[in-house]
Amino acid sequence: MPETELWITRIFNDYLAGPANAILILIGRAADPHPWANFIVMQILVAAIVIVVFAILRPRLSAERPGKLQHTFELVYEFVYGQAAEQVGHDGPRYAAFFGTIFIFILFSNLIGIIPGFESPTMNPSVPAGCALAVFAYYNFAGIQANGIGKYLSHFVGPMLILAPLMIPIELISHMARPLSLTIRLYANMFAGEKVTAVFLGLTYFLIPAVFMGLHVFVSLLQAYIFMLLTMLYVAGAVVHDH
Amino acid sequence: MTKKFLFLTILLLLASPMVFAQTPGNPTPGGHWVPISAGFSMAIASGLCGLAQARAVAACAEGMARNPGAAAAIRFALLLGLVLIESLALYTFLIIFVKVS
Repeated sequence: MPETELWITRIFNDYLAGPANAILILIGRAADPHPWANFIVMQILVAAIVIVVFAILRPRLSAERPGKLQHTFELVYEFVYGQAAEQVGHDGPRYAAFFGTIFIFILFSNLIGIIPGFESPTMNPSVPAGCALAVFAYYNFAGIQANGIGKYLSHFVGPMLILAPLMIPIELISHMARPLSLTIRLYANMFAGEKVTAVFLGLTYFLIPAVFMGLHVFVSLLQAYIFMLLTMLYVAGAVVHDH
Repeated sequence: MTKKFLFLTILLLLASPMVFAQTPGNPTPGGHWVPISAGFSMAIASGLCGLAQARAVAACAEGMARNPGAAAAIRFALLLGLVLIESLALYTFLIIFVKVS
């Protein structure tokens, strides 16, 4: 199905097609009349929004007279760090920056689709795949950093050496399945939310499918939380020290 | 009884290539079976996931009723379980969308 352009994407394609085509030619692909895709523009927009929000927040941080923005972000901070300490253990806060980034990025990406005229970048399978691959790389890297590569690979062997020929394929497959399930879970939830609203818009009157959009908001929040939670669980599994 | 069942199963499997001889001019493999199987598979996936989530919610409600102090931990386990079960139904939905277009 051909993708319709958002108004922002049209602005990008009208004015910034040159630099995009230069990058495309640089990596060996043909130049395109519409090089900017919807999800790329929306990702850039979400990143810009997050940067601007934090840039506004930083000068307003104060220990004596905290403002509303500071209270809101203290809630977010407590939430992410509390979950990290609970799931990963006493090493949790070391990795909490990544968890918080994943949570805020996916949350904003999911919620921006509710606004008419914008589209969730997570509705395109590439974006959740990118986040899942980042999580995969991060938890393996964190495991190797915490345990050393020999000890980290020995986790794949399982509890007893005699079970190794059985455990190694099982562990490899389950590790490969992790980014796949993260991707599909997030992508399918966002895609299904939009499709269900669209289908019911075709079936019934104009404002009734707003109920499905409400459900979609709840599902967006839940899916962002679950993505972060599963990231924490994978990091916890990789970083575990046999004391 | 088992031998009869095994015999019937083998007979069914041997008869299956006859199904492919139906519509010669169909470019996509499957053809007109795709929407039918899509409907059935989505219904089966949703039904089974509904049953699984019902069990999860029932266990959660009973646990919270027995031990109100542990409600936060039980609620956390409930949400995690519900999302993981939900994702199984969504895998089926995704396959349908990939195949039916």
